[in-house]
Amino acid sequence: MRPSRSFFVAVAAGCLALSVALAACGGSGERAEDEILIGAIFDLTGPTADVGIDYADAVRGHVDWLNARGGIQGRPVRLIYQDYGYQVDRAEQLYTQFVQEGALIFMGWGTGDTEALRLRITEDRIPFSSASLSHVLGDAHESPYNFLVATSYSDQFRIVLRWIAEDHRANGGAGNARVAFMHNASPFGLSPWVQGGEDYAREIGVDVTPYEMPRGATDYTAEFSRIGQSGARYVVFQNTSAPAAVALRNARGLGIDATFVCLNWCANALLWRLAADAAEGVVGAIPWAPLTDDVPGVRDIRDYLGSRGEDYAGKTNAFTQGWWTMAVFVEGIRRVLDSGRELTGENIKRALETIDGLDTGGAGPPLTFTPSDHRGSKGLRLFRAEDGRWTPLTEVLTAP
Amino acid sequence: MGLRRVPAERVRLGLFAAALLVFPFLASPYWLNLANQIAIATIGALGLNILVGYTGQISLGQGAFMAVGAYTSALLTLRLGLPWGVSIAAACLATAAVGVFFGLPSLRLKGLYLAISTLAAQEIVEWVVTHWTALTGGVEAVVVPAPQLFGQRLNTDFGFYWLGIILAGGTALFTANLFRSRIGRSFVAVRDQDIAASVIGVNVFGTKLLAFATSSFFVGLAGALTAYYRNIISWERFTLETSVLYLAMIIVGGLGTIRGSLFGAALITLLPAMIATAGRELQQSAPAAAALLPSVQQAAFGLVIILFLVFEPEGLSKLWRNVKDYFYVWPFAYRRGEGR
Repeated sequence: MRPSRSFFVAVAAGCLALSVALAACGGSGERAEDEILIGAIFDLTGPTADVGIDYADAVRGHVDWLNARGGIQGRPVRLIYQDYGYQVDRAEQLYTQFVQEGALIFMGWGTGDTEALRLRITEDRIPFSSASLSHVLGDAHESPYNFLVATSYSDQFRIVLRWIAEDHRANGGAGNARVAFMHNASPFGLSPWVQGGEDYAREIGVDVTPYEMPRGATDYTAEFSRIGQSGARYVVFQNTSAPAAVALRNARGLGIDATFVCLNWCANALLWRLAADAAEGVVGAIPWAPLTDDVPGVRDIRDYLGSRGEDYAGKTNAFTQGWWTMAVFVEGIRRVLDSGRELTGENIKRALETIDGLDTGGAGPPLTFTPSDHRGSKGLRLFRAEDGRWTPLTEVLTAP
Repeated sequence: MGLRRVPAERVRLGLFAAALLVFPFLASPYWLNLANQIAIATIGALGLNILVGYTGQISLGQGAFMAVGAYTSALLTLRLGLPWGVSIAAACLATAAVGVFFGLPSLRLKGLYLAISTLAAQEIVEWVVTHWTALTGGVEAVVVPAPQLFGQRLNTDFGFYWLGIILAGGTALFTANLFRSRIGRSFVAVRDQDIAASVIGVNVFGTKLLAFATSSFFVGLAGALTAYYRNIISWERFTLETSVLYLAMIIVGGLGTIRGSLFGAALITLLPAMIATAGRELQQSAPAAAALLPSVQQAAFGLVIILFLVFEPEGLSKLWRNVKDYFYVWPFAYRRGEGR
């Protein structure tokens, strides 16, 4: 036992010394003078990794694509990023680390960690975009450095509720439309409901009952039997693709006769892969177009993927969202450089607030930010899942 | 200092204290952030060690007890406007009470069976937190008002550091002295052989409940500090994963030792951060390997823990003792008395 123990001590000491050394020099790594640093955290291993991987790939991809075309005004962009596994503590650590290394803006991910960092980014003056589209994050008084680069969850939900009310009437339904709202058990899942959805449903006379989808569940029979008894004819999901697909298969198996609607994070190509036929007929509230939708705003993305020898059809619209989120921030930086001002977080924030009707080539509605409103877009198109594709169902609908 | 008889011990302690005092002035915010996380984890690990390491009652309810502490302190400040000091104290007491309640099965249950009943505590508390919406806000995050001291915000990395090390130091001092007392010795007696303990006059059940109370008190403190430091809490911070991570801390650090709690807390906090930093170096030097990194990082974390269990079951604390022993007799090969 003795020799192996001392061997282990040596190995452990060696590992520690190596990692400390790496950590120590990590921050001081060589850095070009004019390089622009962007920090990012991604979920590549956590509970939302199903859609997080494409988003991360897109953000990295956009930076590669940008640098290949000469960066921003000739200045190269470097993305410093890490997987954080959807853990709030890790997000806070990495944020501190990256900002200290000189990141000027930060690409966040989840609702929980974005909320947790909200006060710090205001203090540090770091413009922040998250994949989370929680409505409160777009309130420029509460969160002056958060920017929502797509329709907020609450707006998405309101658009869907209004569409449901109309669809219900159009199909000759009597009384109020009954809706089951199935959501991820987290701030992300509940956000559209508590931040305006509940009030709006009451206002327009739609009866909505929320149902929680426990994390890691493999079966929703209990929820669906309650939904079946409640007589709900519409089911709205606020969750990522993997759990939504499980629920869809479950519901089809139980013969639930309802129209299923996916908000942002489950209306994508992944849903098709996971749910297969069960996804047929699902309505999707999609702020950023799927890559199969042939509009100018996704052609760059297709070309870029082509140059990597990859097929765009397998990618989700999380890819479009990641790509364009990065693009909007790049536009902010470009405007600061154009104006000749110093490149600081505060100036980037001001520059972003001058964006008025930014054309996204049909990938999403035009984006507008003002000093009092950081919700870049209020509208989206609804799509319907048909034969393995998301086909546009409506024109751009604007949130009430 | 009568308890520290050997000069070397005093010198070491002095050096450690000096390092703690100087550290925040030299360290970057990133390292301060990590240090604060370690301070909180140390308090939590000490609390868990009182129960698991010293009294031998396995608990999987660490995350739940931290949640009780965090939510109690946050809600007392948020809803009743109590000052943070008062609500932290109240949170500790409330967690102790909850700990005693979930400790009741220890009257009949031992070992793995008790572990399962504390697992129930974890699930029940998690369920209550996420479903008692009127009280806790459900799955929504709770924003905690920032603690103030003399008009300064206390939960900056720098400000909180002082609160963190004072409370962690106090907890360590209390724990060290606890096990020099009659009560502490009865904890250990229960762990080593409960029947023998009752024969020599220890009230076994009372002792177990007291251990649950003392342990939960500090675990609640760790939870409350998390709430104030982070400004925002949600149930996602206090899952079964948290419980397991804390168990890993005290096992890797060393069961039933004070410094083991500190070492374990430090290692489990720093290791993922270090692996991540090393991983980022690789991102630049070998981008092809970057895609594999996230999973490799998780595996590396698991591997280190397994290696510890295999090669040094008594944990970092024993390693530290080995190093001390080595230098104690250096340059000779044997310890005094060992060759007899």
